[in-house]
Amino acid sequence: MNSTGIPLKEPAISAAAGDTEQLERALIDASTRVPVLIFYTSAVAWLILGTLLAGFVSFKLHTPDLLSDIGFLTWGRVRPVHMNVMVYGWASMAGMGTAIWLMARLCRTVLRYPLLLVAGAGFWNLGVFLGVCGILLGDSTGYQWLEFPSYAAIILFVAYTLVASWAVLMFRFRRGEQIYITQWYLLGAFLWFPWLYAAGQLMLFVVPVQGVLQAAVGWWYANNLLFLWFGAIGLGTAYYMIPKVIGRPVYSYHLATIGFWSYALFSSWTGMQRLVDGPFPAWMVTASIAATILTLIPVATVGLNHHMTMQGYFPLMRYSPTLRFTVFGAMSYTVFSLVGVLISLRSVARYVNFTQASIAYSHLGLYAFFTMVIFGSMYYIVPRLIGREWRYGSLIKLHFWASAYGIGLMTLMLLAGGLTQGASMENPSLAFSESVESVLPYLRGRSLSGILLMVSHFIFAYHFGLMLFGLGRKSTVPTFLNPVEAEGAEVAH
Amino acid sequence: MKGLAPLFLGIFGTFAFSWVGLTLIPNWQIGHLNPQSDEEGTDIYPMPQSGMVTRGARVYAANGCNYCHSEQVRAEYSGADIERKWGDRRSAPRDYIFERPVLLGKMRMGQDLANIGARAPKEEESPSPTGGASPAPQGAAASPSAVASAKAASSPPATSPSPATAPATSPGAIASKPPASPGPAGPPPSKSPAAAAAASPAASPRPSAPPWPEQTAGLPPMYSAAWHHVHLYSPRSINFDSNMPSYRFLYETRRITDARSSDALQLTGSDAPREGWEIVPTYDAKCLVAYMMALNQSHPLKEVRSAGASAAASPAASPPPAPGGQPAK
Repeated sequence: MNSTGIPLKEPAISAAAGDTEQLERALIDASTRVPVLIFYTSAVAWLILGTLLAGFVSFKLHTPDLLSDIGFLTWGRVRPVHMNVMVYGWASMAGMGTAIWLMARLCRTVLRYPLLLVAGAGFWNLGVFLGVCGILLGDSTGYQWLEFPSYAAIILFVAYTLVASWAVLMFRFRRGEQIYITQWYLLGAFLWFPWLYAAGQLMLFVVPVQGVLQAAVGWWYANNLLFLWFGAIGLGTAYYMIPKVIGRPVYSYHLATIGFWSYALFSSWTGMQRLVDGPFPAWMVTASIAATILTLIPVATVGLNHHMTMQGYFPLMRYSPTLRFTVFGAMSYTVFSLVGVLISLRSVARYVNFTQASIAYSHLGLYAFFTMVIFGSMYYIVPRLIGREWRYGSLIKLHFWASAYGIGLMTLMLLAGGLTQGASMENPSLAFSESVESVLPYLRGRSLSGILLMVSHFIFAYHFGLMLFGLGRKSTVPTFLNPVEAEGAEVAH
Repeated sequence: MKGLAPLFLGIFGTFAFSWVGLTLIPNWQIGHLNPQSDEEGTDIYPMPQSGMVTRGARVYAANGCNYCHSEQVRAEYSGADIERKWGDRRSAPRDYIFERPVLLGKMRMGQDLANIGARAPKEEESPSPTGGASPAPQGAAASPSAVASAKAASSPPATSPSPATAPATSPGAIASKPPASPGPAGPPPSKSPAAAAAASPAASPRPSAPPWPEQTAGLPPMYSAAWHHVHLYSPRSINFDSNMPSYRFLYETRRITDARSSDALQLTGSDAPREGWEIVPTYDAKCLVAYMMALNQSHPLKEVRSAGASAAASPAASPPPAPGGQPAK
């Protein structure tokens, strides 16, 4: 099947293990088809909605009179809708889709109880939809990433319970004793999320804690959602896709163990650094700053592991869409963590605490790292579900570059704007309004990057739609980003 | 990794560690604070909020005000919050024990609002029975530095209203406002001295202290309830560079039936309604403004050093140490 001579699709094991293994794999892929596609399709629909909202929010921030007379379109309502659509609609659903597929493959068994997943996806969509309507109608709770009113939160929780119980059930049916690295992360994500969500909801809405602790719980939740849910899925996916595409095993199992446990231990203690100098006991903030610095251990081990795995195979990024997106995402994880450490240091946090820099940070995590890894995995998984290859290599390339430049520009604009804003805010001889004015040009630049991202997402949605309607290429050769003839031969093995 | 049990235990253990460490232990430490009071059991701070204020907090959250405005004052050593006169001491956990939701905020595309109620001109307080003791002239009391001295001189003029009086207080404050300013057409000269006086004391320590360069004549005194309504309705009529969206959907335009409502907004220029019409706040808008007027952390706390007390450290702070603000740490 590997007519090009490049091990872009199936690694060397398949040759040894023979056809039965491939057949098995195809069967497993086929069994995941309906649930995973439901998750992916919903996710892409939410992505498009969230992107449109993002552009709207971004423009409104420097053009405040744009459609401001309509209550449900006021900036303060559309912004949380954008965030929640991206977090719960797009990122969570796409992440769950990828996680489900990986789970079935790594448990080496056909997907059981697909109805659990279909119902889960249905309820999840309903929950996000109700939540969005609730916020627009003025029911927002006001806590970052927990804005959904309780009626939506309950439905989300029910939906999630269905998906998580499916994951645990699948785990019990797995074949073989080996638990793969990716599965640690996925199992972690599947188990952490419900605890996290339940803890957040309970401590904020059911038996609310007193005063400022509500804010602490809110940030604890939001940060752990970023790390223990999205981060874990993203890293797990990268641990699967990179070795899979280049066809060699992960460089070091021991590094991976250290990386996973230090990640679970330290990243879950971050979050309070965002409350720096606020009305809290100083030790909370200090503990989180220390934990943020300690997350450099998992960053270093995971980064090193990925790098050593990729060593010598970097040229393959020229051809494989999956590899290109995944490696970009994995690299962004390092950047994301470094920026996180930088802006959590007290001396820097003084300046950037109340500025746009924190928006740059969350976009680095959710987009440059997580979303790019998930795009990569979708480029790998969707053809295996549908039996068609992506139609246009050029569209994938365009998608990648628009996304990469878009998120790069956004990060730079928001970081630079945040520093400028913070420096002006810090200087009491400047009127406060100057700090706002100093950041406005950067916000216009951010709107520009939003247009790039919008282009990239529309391209992706179009391409995904073609696949969904069976309009992909009929071919056994995967879609490459560049023609492989000439240089390909040298690269392989 | 062999076996599911160690993996599961590890996943559970790391999460439980974080949950206990970052939410349960803090809850044990600062989760059960009581209001502070002096020896006689009077002078209680903070007070529970009134119904209007609570609803106002929900309006504030529902419309996402917290995405641009923080409600926390940082300490002197960190940031310029106190120098910007956003408060005369840092915020402490005790300030928030009755707030729900707590909207500390993470972004300052707009000013910090932790003390926006304390920055209102003192005449706002006059309908409140507790505030009557303050003899300070209205203009002089407008700046936070003056609030500190006024507080030293009198009983708490700026504490949040008690539950019984508050629902009556805030609408009363709104209602009492327009009669103070003459007529709908509002001859500006008679109003502007108050507005100018409200703005100028803030300018005394530093030339840059007024938060906005343009303070149009003819507006209600800065940070008064009536001013907030005009500002919410038309932010750029007050500060041309503001990038705050207007919240016109919280106001209704209606025909004047017999007499102009006492709640009607004092708008000028292009925002003014047509002849025979008036713009009045909805109940949500009144609650929102009541909430903002109740945002007040000027009462000294035993555990926090006030700016006046730290005057020795920073010579720039002009007011004499407030007796109630002695450091307790």
